[in-house]
Amino acid sequence: MTLTLTLRAQPPAHVDLTQLIPERLRGRGAGDVAGLRLRCGREQLGVGDLFDVSGTGGEELILAGDLRRFNGIGARMSGGAIDVRGDVGAWAGGEMDGGVLRIFGDAGARLGAAYPGARAGMTGGEIVVTGDAGEEAGAGMRRGLVAVGGRTGNGAGLRMLAGTVIALGGIGAEAGLGNKRGSLVSGKAVEPLPSYAFATCFHPPALRLQLLRVRELGLTVPESLLSGSWARWSGDRTELTRGEILIFDDKEEAGR
Amino acid sequence: MSGYVVGDTQVDDTFAEAFPMRYARVVITAATDSWALEAARSMTGFATSVIGCKCEAAIERSLTAAETPDGRPGIAVLLFAMDREGVGKRVLERVGQCVMTCPTTACFDGEPSAEKTVPLGASLRYFGDGFQASKVIAGKRFWRIPVMEGEFLVCESVGVGTGVAGGNLVIGAGEEDAALAAATAAAAAMRGEGIALPFPGGIVRSGSKVGALTSKSLPASTNHQMAPTLRVQVDDTLVPDGVGALFEIVIDGASEDAVREAMRRGLHAAAGAGATHVTAANFGGKLGQFHFPLSELRDPP
Repeated sequence: MTLTLTLRAQPPAHVDLTQLIPERLRGRGAGDVAGLRLRCGREQLGVGDLFDVSGTGGEELILAGDLRRFNGIGARMSGGAIDVRGDVGAWAGGEMDGGVLRIFGDAGARLGAAYPGARAGMTGGEIVVTGDAGEEAGAGMRRGLVAVGGRTGNGAGLRMLAGTVIALGGIGAEAGLGNKRGSLVSGKAVEPLPSYAFATCFHPPALRLQLLRVRELGLTVPESLLSGSWARWSGDRTELTRGEILIFDDKEEAGR
Repeated sequence: MSGYVVGDTQVDDTFAEAFPMRYARVVITAATDSWALEAARSMTGFATSVIGCKCEAAIERSLTAAETPDGRPGIAVLLFAMDREGVGKRVLERVGQCVMTCPTTACFDGEPSAEKTVPLGASLRYFGDGFQASKVIAGKRFWRIPVMEGEFLVCESVGVGTGVAGGNLVIGAGEEDAALAAATAAAAAMRGEGIALPFPGGIVRSGSKVGALTSKSLPASTNHQMAPTLRVQVDDTLVPDGVGALFEIVIDGASEDAVREAMRRGLHAAAGAGATHVTAANFGGKLGQFHFPLSELRDPP
């Protein structure tokens, strides 16, 4: 069963969509969902005031429209799938625990990240963004996968505990600060923080598997990334030095 | 012994007797076909009979890059043991010694839908001496074990299924060369999905019987009834007139149907390749849960 919400009107302020996750909507009809109240700035609005709702709640939720004013899409979800056809606001997939969140557009800041005061962000599941992601994607992440087709903003993987953040278009500056065991993956050349040290270039077999997985989830992954060599930088050396930044070793690009 | 004829081949009215065993299917991938094959050959070495080797294992089939989890060429290996614990021990030993050591390989579970599993990477990870790391990919945990080449990737556990071991055909001809050619053709025809032929080239020349005439401690000894050189020396020879050599093909399979159909393919391939006689080994039907009458294999595949 699939529930579809198509944006009808832009809200007057940012809206918290945290409660619209598959496990909370399971079995609910369109009318029931349309009546749910959403926090919008200092007010509350009905789902039906903002969206055309169709279908019945089940394992899959589809959101369509320009949702840059909608925060927390898929946050704390633990199963099922959410597909978003459009850009989304901040905190998408925040503290997510399971399931698949696919965003066919750009994502705002703190994608899959921990909420203020929380130590751990995402603890499971998969997030795929076909466009770019904002600052601090995967901050505090403990487990799971965040894959971005474009670039991530500054500070990706901030205080990351484990898990993987992939940015095929390259990770932004200051990535992996305070990273303990996490993996940050950059498909483009990037200058790691000084607290990371170069280890070697190799063909990481787990990354190959992850790239095949994100391709399956809808990202375009060039063949060169699958077969190519990656530079491993170990860090953060102010923490355990068990984390890593993998940077695509683009020999052809370097030779030009 | 009555039976039927396929072409010029006499097929006995008898049956093969087989037993339930537990099995795992391990998918080995590597940078090239040849490295995957090296690892698979190494892993399936000294695994002909559970009596002497603690397990029976063989290459099931080659896998194209499109068929493997990491998109590289691979080999599927089937490993059989008497129980789940035995499968777990043997898989762990053999992947640790033969696959992890082989350049460029990675190791995956080829039986992901099995209800029961045994740990693989979950135990092998300790080789990483604390430097190992895990990744959960599409809901499955994998272990990254740092090695001199880079990293060895291995799945957390492998599924264990219930299979059938001990299906067999015994193929004979007047001359040794002709019998071997027929057995070779049969083995080639029998290989396929769900089938392991654990003996060298799929063929065993030293078929055995349970126990021994001269010792109480030997678990198995030569099948003197099927030895042509003893034809006039023993009273209970089963070597048919005109047969100068016999070869046995032992078949382990993922299911009863897989074994039966492999036997069918093998019987007809042997008949077409010059076998004069096809029979099967059994223990009187008292030991094995599965019986495969040759009379049911009359129709070609």
